Amino acid sequence: MAQVFDRSSNALARMSLVLTGLIVIALGVALNQLQRSPWVTKQGQRPDQPIPFSHKHHVEGVGIQCQYCHVQVEKAAYAGIPPTKTCINCHAQIWTNADYLEPVRQSWATGASIQWIRVHDLPDFVYFNHDIHVNKGIGCASCHGRVDEMPLMYQENTLQMEWCLNCHRNPAANLRPTSEIYNMAWTGPSSDKPVWCGSTGKGGATANAVNCTEVDPNKAEVKPASFETGASSPASYQKFTSQIELGKYLTAQYHIRTPNELSSCETCHR
Amino acid sequence: MKTTGIGTQETMADTKSHAQADAQVVTQIAPAKMTIAEVREKLDGKTGRRFWKNLDEMAETPAFQELMQNEFPRQAGAGEWVDPVSRRGFLKVMGASFALAGLAGCTKQPDEPIYPYVKQPEDLVLGKPMFFASAYPFPTGAIPILVKSDAFRPIKVNGNPEHPVSKGSSDVFTQSTLLELYDPDRSQRVRYRGQDSSFGEFQKALQDAAAKSSGGQGLYFLSETITSPTLASQWKALQAKYPQAKLVQWDPVNQDSSRAASKAAFGSYADAQYRLDDADIILTLDADFLSGIAHPGSLSLADGYAKRHTYEEGKKMNRLYAVESMPTVTGLRAEHRLGLKPSQIEAFADALVTGTAPSFLNAEQQKFFTVLLDDLKKNSGRAVVIPGEQAAPVVHAAAYALNTLLGAVGKTVVYTETVNPLPTEQNAEFKALVADMNSGKVKWLVILGGNPVYTAPADLNFADALAKVPVTAHLGLHVDETGSATTWSLNRAHYLEAWSDARAYDGTLSIIQPMIDPMYGGKSSHDVFQTLLDNPQASAYDVVVANAKNYIKGDFATGWRKALHDGWVEGTTFTPKAGVPARVASFTPSKPSTSGYEIAFLSDTSLYDGRFANVGWLQELPKQVTNLSWDNAALVSLNTMAELKAEETNLIEIELNGRKITAPILVAPGHPDGVITLHLGFGRGVEAGRVGAGVGVNAYKIRTSDAPYLASGATAKVVAGSFYDICVTKVHSNEHRGKFAQHDLEHPEYDNEGTYSLEGHEAMERSIIRYATVEEAEKNPDFAHTGASGTVVNKVGYGPQGEAPKKDESFFPDAWNYEKTDPSSLKIQNAWGMSIDMNTCFGCNACVVSCYAENNIPVVGREQVKVGRNMQWLRIDTYFEGDLHAPKAHFQPMACQHCENAGCEQVCPVGATVHSPEGLNLMVYNRCVGTRYCSNNCPYKVRRFNFLLYSDYETESLKFSRNPDVSVRSRGVMEKCTYCVQRIMSAKIQADKENREIRDGDIVTACQEACPTGSITFGNINDKTSKVAKRKATEREYSVLGDLNYRPRTTYTAGVINPNPELA
Repeated sequence: MAQVFDRSSNALARMSLVLTGLIVIALGVALNQLQRSPWVTKQGQRPDQPIPFSHKHHVEGVGIQCQYCHVQVEKAAYAGIPPTKTCINCHAQIWTNADYLEPVRQSWATGASIQWIRVHDLPDFVYFNHDIHVNKGIGCASCHGRVDEMPLMYQENTLQMEWCLNCHRNPAANLRPTSEIYNMAWTGPSSDKPVWCGSTGKGGATANAVNCTEVDPNKAEVKPASFETGASSPASYQKFTSQIELGKYLTAQYHIRTPNELSSCETCHR
Repeated sequence: MKTTGIGTQETMADTKSHAQADAQVVTQIAPAKMTIAEVREKLDGKTGRRFWKNLDEMAETPAFQELMQNEFPRQAGAGEWVDPVSRRGFLKVMGASFALAGLAGCTKQPDEPIYPYVKQPEDLVLGKPMFFASAYPFPTGAIPILVKSDAFRPIKVNGNPEHPVSKGSSDVFTQSTLLELYDPDRSQRVRYRGQDSSFGEFQKALQDAAAKSSGGQGLYFLSETITSPTLASQWKALQAKYPQAKLVQWDPVNQDSSRAASKAAFGSYADAQYRLDDADIILTLDADFLSGIAHPGSLSLADGYAKRHTYEEGKKMNRLYAVESMPTVTGLRAEHRLGLKPSQIEAFADALVTGTAPSFLNAEQQKFFTVLLDDLKKNSGRAVVIPGEQAAPVVHAAAYALNTLLGAVGKTVVYTETVNPLPTEQNAEFKALVADMNSGKVKWLVILGGNPVYTAPADLNFADALAKVPVTAHLGLHVDETGSATTWSLNRAHYLEAWSDARAYDGTLSIIQPMIDPMYGGKSSHDVFQTLLDNPQASAYDVVVANAKNYIKGDFATGWRKALHDGWVEGTTFTPKAGVPARVASFTPSKPSTSGYEIAFLSDTSLYDGRFANVGWLQELPKQVTNLSWDNAALVSLNTMAELKAEETNLIEIELNGRKITAPILVAPGHPDGVITLHLGFGRGVEAGRVGAGVGVNAYKIRTSDAPYLASGATAKVVAGSFYDICVTKVHSNEHRGKFAQHDLEHPEYDNEGTYSLEGHEAMERSIIRYATVEEAEKNPDFAHTGASGTVVNKVGYGPQGEAPKKDESFFPDAWNYEKTDPSSLKIQNAWGMSIDMNTCFGCNACVVSCYAENNIPVVGREQVKVGRNMQWLRIDTYFEGDLHAPKAHFQPMACQHCENAGCEQVCPVGATVHSPEGLNLMVYNRCVGTRYCSNNCPYKVRRFNFLLYSDYETESLKFSRNPDVSVRSRGVMEKCTYCVQRIMSAKIQADKENREIRDGDIVTACQEACPTGSITFGNINDKTSKVAKRKATEREYSVLGDLNYRPRTTYTAGVINPNPELA
């Protein structure tokens, strides 16, 4: 019986073997990329909201502090979405006829909620808590990005587990003094812009424990208030020129739990 | 799973035949492998102390061995699906769902809407629960509660910790009222002759009828027991306006005996308050005062009992004697229990007063009588006698006489006015009402709560009488048997939705405040009464406030706010009546007919009188003592069973005065011979709702008005050829109808005589249960580790190391180090642990229901329970001990032990169960792929697997009830006790925010919260000053199966009992 396959088909066979391998690898890579892609994570996407609310305008332009609307961010797991009442506080006076604000007026008149679309949406098996993050020196911008520069709200980070763990395994990289939590532009200390921190010697909540300043306390003409108490002196202030140094200092001062504990499953899953 | 729509007709037929051929029917259990006669033969002549777990451990069979090796019996194979789906059909369907699952993995989360408030309530912090004080009005007295509310949605009902009576504890009923509130089958609208109507229309009709009548002639109200003083005052106002209107209070399970006896003894109705803190000797005469609030003041009594039943240096322990018929947790926990027929208990109680033992007692029982009487007399002033509510008036009268005789009045018992504002003798009144209905005197009948069509005595033919009344109305939570028979059906507001008030055991008045707007616009009895009063539009709130002005002293606004905040009104406690009860001789023990069986009717420990029939938590809850779930049965003794020649898979027909019911039969260990105990509340029709319909047997069908609790002269016989598949949960897998616990210690591990029980063997030789008598404990405080009469040691482990393997003998010695210094705080880290006191736990189940509510545990249904898939994270293991006819019992709550060296963790292929640095054994649901290896490797069998989609994701009202801090688990996921990790985390976050350590007591687990006796302690075992660490440091602490070296974090405190040496 004659050979069914020509010699040249050997090459074809080899090639198809290699090709199969490559396809499998490519598929793996593609899936891996896909599940990290913005298509899945919704990173950077701006859903159609009933009102094209601009954080940029309200935060940067008008200068409203985060907590004016997100009132319970220091108290509870949810930061809180402002009730229509909060909008009406101002918009009963200004821009009362703007077309954009029709849903707000509607809501106020009818008592029906404004139906927003959730931008930062974690899976239901994740128990995220704003409260503890904000109280322990994680700024809004660390997770939400420069909200003051977002005309339309979007998700800055992937919010995937690996992203969470990046910080939970090394919280020092992102810790900032609690006085800077709502500072959107905080970049951390550098040699050009050092930060001085000192213990206030007060017990109680995290914010009372440490005082930080960007003005050299030894030279400052107006001393930080905590000096008056006598609990600390300018000399006791430490100078930090890098985030990691400051982070380590704050880790100890704020009693941040160890990476081992922070990355234990029950921290987020119950 | 349905096969409909898959394949052609041909494959459908194929499917069917396959289902018949190889799909095992899983909902049935095999008939007992040994007949009762054989068991008795084997037991004959066997003596010695032994533990056993289930009467059904009767035959040595391969099937039983197999069951013992499988945690979840018969879990393999496609045949296990409840719907008959063949393997082939199953694979097809599964193939489809795998494909879908694959796709679902790639899809992104759907957009989720946010609905913010328009105006946010001022004090609301979303995500932080709020707590409101209220009370649960139960016929035997209000239970003060503290309701956890998430965004004004009640999600947990707990006892009010600041209340002087309940002290934070609660019971199964109180806990379950949460699910009752969210019951999807609740009545949702007002109906008039089946058509939608409104409450306004009803009010108009009622007002018209009242106006036309002469002074309310023909206007009748039939209410369940009135607990609210405000409602009572409304009734008084109504009666002043309509003097001819009549009110009848009636509950099928009521306090008539106590009412009759107290009226005779005091001249007026009185309630007893027992002060068990001061009692050294307690005698209960058929009073199950520990099991739950069906007994008045149960929570307070349990607390008092437990306080004195604690073994401490220099403190005298109390001693409990129980004379009872149906074995209850109270009796089985008692140092000495005498099982007598209910009629004999009457004579026994009466004889205690006269001092001469009744003649029917045998020699052993005679001795019990004399020793008991002697012990009571010796402890005059420190002894107390408690009669059961269902016991005859003569028992109550005897209890009054005995308490007077023993000098108990004013010391260990005080008598006060009644907790309920309008006490009556209900059965007589109800009978008169039915007579009036039949004679046409009743023109309008308004039924306020209750379900008399279902619960009324069979001889009264209430349904027929009801049909003779021209206009009837029923105010009820459900359109139940009564609601569907009345002209008007009014939807009632649940007590968590309406204003009212009620008194607790000690008389303290609580304001009942609504926790949520009535979900279906329901109304309460207050609204109905108010309809006929001068200001018909006044709300329940208005009338409660108006009435509160009578007893709130000082500035009303301040006092009212304080009463709402605290949950009770100060200074409303009853003052004890002066004087002692008179000796009443007018009651005599009943003379039961000498032939036939006595039938005892009892309220059920889970369903009460049937009102909780549609509460899944309670239906599924394994009942105290019998561990029946989703069933009731004719409970008998082993001798009676033999006499009837019945097996536990038979149905028996009980005939009483010409009325018949057919019921499954089950042996209750310690049950007296010649009595059949029937629990009420089962056998409801479709009106009960989706959960309660068709569960069990309706005992009301043979209950008559002249013999509501005890009837005699019944006959019973096995229904020939009957087979009933009764649902009993024991050691988690239900069908261990295996072997009997008869063996001595030298018995081989396996034998073929069928007289060996693995559980008994384990309980004893491996010392799962350890206890000693007071004398032994005093002589040898370390008895839990060195041995006593109730503790066998050094048999454990079958290895040289015994139960305490050395810590460093491990492949991973460092992994066990839980004493690391936390670099963040420079303190020793936290290590969570639990201790359960076996001395004070009596298996009341409150912890189990609390766990249901806290952890969103699904109800799986009867079929699934039968195959061992009940999902309770916490179970109560009941170990019986000793003689089959008069056993003792030990109750052991068993949940995940959070082993430091946990076997489950080592076998999980996906790391879904791991250890936290603080020693918690974590279960990560989103990682779990459902291999169930962990469960196989768990020696305590405390893991639960979602074989099917048990959680209800569809029913809207149930979504309200969920705890938002705990994941709702889907199909294919393992779950188990987490030590309430959500509570740990929230305490931790609070402490971290305040830069402090977690204080002892910051974390209270759900089971601990509910426990009426404080048997459960939880906390940081590395903090040597914590309660749990102190308890763990005591000599009596032991771990279950400690020899396995799993190092469980939950340990148990060995019990100490205080038996009378003369009866030993």
